Amino acid sequence: MAKKINLEMTSVENREMRLGTIIAWDGAASELVKESDYDSRKDKKRGIISDKTEKKGCCGNGSKACRLCELNTPLNQQTMCANAIVECQIGNLTDCILIQHSPIGCAADNAWFNLAFKMGLTRRHKPIQNLKIFCTNLLEKDMVFGASDKLRQAIRDAKERFAPKAIFISMACATAIIGEDIDSIADEMEPEVGVPVIPLHCEGFRSKHWSTGFDISQHGVAQKIVNRNPKKQKDLINIVALWGTDYFTDILKPLGLRVNYMIDCANYAELEQASEAVATSTFCHTLGSYMATVLEQHFGVPQIDAPQPYGFAGTDAWLRAIAKIVGKEEETEAYIKSEHERVLPKIQELREKFKGVKGFIMTGSAYAHGLISVLRELGIEVDGSVVFHHDPVYDGAAENQNSLKHLVDNYGDIPHYTVSKTQAYQLPQVFRRVKTDFVIIRHQGLAPEAAKLGIPALAMGDEHIPVGYDGMIRTGEALLDILARKRFNQVLQRHVELPYTKWWQSQDDPFILSKEPEVIEKALGLDKKKLKKGA
Amino acid sequence: MAKEIRQIAIYGKGGIGKSTTTQNLTAGLVERGNKVMVVGCDPKADSTRLLLGGLAQRTVLDTLRENGEDIDLEDILKEGYGGTRCVESGGPEPGVGCAGRGIITSIGLLERLGAYTDDLDYVFYDVLGDVVCGGFAMPIREGKAKEIYIVASGEMMALYAANNISKGIARYAKQGGVRLGGIICNSRNVDRERELVAAFAKELGTQLIHFVPRDNEVQRAEIHKKTVIDHKPDAKQADEYRELARKIEENTQFVIPKPLTQERLEEILLEYGLLDALEDNYNI
Repeated sequence: MAKKINLEMTSVENREMRLGTIIAWDGAASELVKESDYDSRKDKKRGIISDKTEKKGCCGNGSKACRLCELNTPLNQQTMCANAIVECQIGNLTDCILIQHSPIGCAADNAWFNLAFKMGLTRRHKPIQNLKIFCTNLLEKDMVFGASDKLRQAIRDAKERFAPKAIFISMACATAIIGEDIDSIADEMEPEVGVPVIPLHCEGFRSKHWSTGFDISQHGVAQKIVNRNPKKQKDLINIVALWGTDYFTDILKPLGLRVNYMIDCANYAELEQASEAVATSTFCHTLGSYMATVLEQHFGVPQIDAPQPYGFAGTDAWLRAIAKIVGKEEETEAYIKSEHERVLPKIQELREKFKGVKGFIMTGSAYAHGLISVLRELGIEVDGSVVFHHDPVYDGAAENQNSLKHLVDNYGDIPHYTVSKTQAYQLPQVFRRVKTDFVIIRHQGLAPEAAKLGIPALAMGDEHIPVGYDGMIRTGEALLDILARKRFNQVLQRHVELPYTKWWQSQDDPFILSKEPEVIEKALGLDKKKLKKGA
Repeated sequence: MAKEIRQIAIYGKGGIGKSTTTQNLTAGLVERGNKVMVVGCDPKADSTRLLLGGLAQRTVLDTLRENGEDIDLEDILKEGYGGTRCVESGGPEPGVGCAGRGIITSIGLLERLGAYTDDLDYVFYDVLGDVVCGGFAMPIREGKAKEIYIVASGEMMALYAANNISKGIARYAKQGGVRLGGIICNSRNVDRERELVAAFAKELGTQLIHFVPRDNEVQRAEIHKKTVIDHKPDAKQADEYRELARKIEENTQFVIPKPLTQERLEEILLEYGLLDALEDNYNI
């Protein structure tokens, strides 16, 4: 039997368990496509069990579940966790409140998320406002005696001061360990404050990758906000997005569709009407698959079974899949044709300019698959890329959502495809192995790291830039600007000393610590001897 | 709609016989045709030994530690006496980590893996002596155990612990549906034990649901890694557990306990427990 997402439960199964997500792998993209075995996993998710799926153990580790080989790194650098993701998802609702039930440190990145939120609101032409996040600011005695009363007080204060449409509570590591019962408190407070109070179990140690935080945020929204008695709006389509510019409206207008963006920058009513839409899609399966699947399984809103809308191949297929649902196949064919004709001359022009140029992507997983297709459409060579995790299957388990395979089949292999979180220490090796003229980055802190290595970095805060036909042009034009900075970065590189030891910088393999852990001992041993000599 | 599973948490002072009582009671319920799951929530992981015929169970947390996230229900759930499903939460070694969090983790995992199937009539949580932190209260949170039985004896510390546990229950009961179903007296052959525990229960606003006499048959069965009903079905003690099972099955008295003040608790103890035996009373 197909396993449905259980909306009765307040906590979400993490991605490792649901999807077999990994965070460290190194090899050719085509290899990872093979190892991921999307089709078997998809079947298993749908409840189709064959001999093949049952006995599979990709890693040869004898495990019953099909598990990908994963490199274990003894050193982990990370800029985020599931709790932080909840901040930048739920905290970015315009008329709801998020209460972080945590010590104040968990709220440290509110400042950065506030900036991103304001930029997002500007892009969506919504009134500018600050993040709506509170923190219960827990201290020693709260850890010892429990902090439920502080949470109750915070809920009352939030209600009184801001009259929000809903109040979310996020769990942190500290509160999860002492067993704060946020579920019961939510149930207890809901009648008092008269709006949904929604517990989110997003403690940082719940999952090794932050993307579980997307699922937790979407789970809470689906559980308590999405309308259970929907009146269909036949011209509405959900797009699960972040805070990017509203390009989807232009793309989908010819199909007679209005866009309902969720979750970032949305208000309560927009989330509520998600069940009234004709379909759900996203710019990135990593982000949107959970929501799309919940809406499909529990609210009867189909998800678009198509590749992501990047490059000609992806955008064509994506539009056709939507056209099928809204019954506008003929009009859409004409639209696709005219769009190709419209953008092709400009893209040809860009292709000329990018002859011989090499590029590199360092972003979230499915999104990278889209971006690489766009670069290849522009004639840019991509010999390597870093994605922050890899989901061998998505929640939708749809026929046409195998985004990595779509990339490899349509645009060729990527010889050095690296799965690794935001691990800046590996960048010297990564960029020595694969020469590139620029890198596209979305996550904070990485652009300067690349810049210091002499590589111009495009920090793409607006994730919708590469989407659709015009996305190729937008991306190309942004890259021309970035390439113009090449000399600046070379000068910068000459004046920057990296914080790593000579030994580490002389290594060739970014995963040497995983493959040969004993080298650390050796390196330390050498250092000790040197120290003695010096003394 | 599927019938509701009766989820029951058993609390009581450490060493009072919670695990022994739970398992013998389970055997009684199984005889009455019930499908039971026992979830051991004690890091010592000895809550299912009598049902499984030994410490055959790999704990949830050990499995999690060794297999990582790659776990199926069958890895942690073993079938024991009369089709009973047995799970041991387990926990860290003494002195390290967080046993309370361990309970939250393992009950969460059981839920996600779908251990709570509709064919179950009862789920028992056999919990560590004291509810020392939020984790040990996990079994009585919303959506889990709604009934609690406290195992006690006529010894002062056992009643003291039972009273403390009642404070916790009262706190949780205010927010949710959890109720105290009664006190099970696991006799230690203390003088006037039945009267004392009955008086204590009455004061709490609950009942002495059953007085389980002390009988070496229990220890003999334990040596054979069995419940009394399994080991010696015709023993008198087996009937005691059958009676306990019947009473729990038919119980309708579920209350929010009224914990005693320290002074009142001591008064009752003086009145019953610490009164000198009659033959020693030289006034008469």
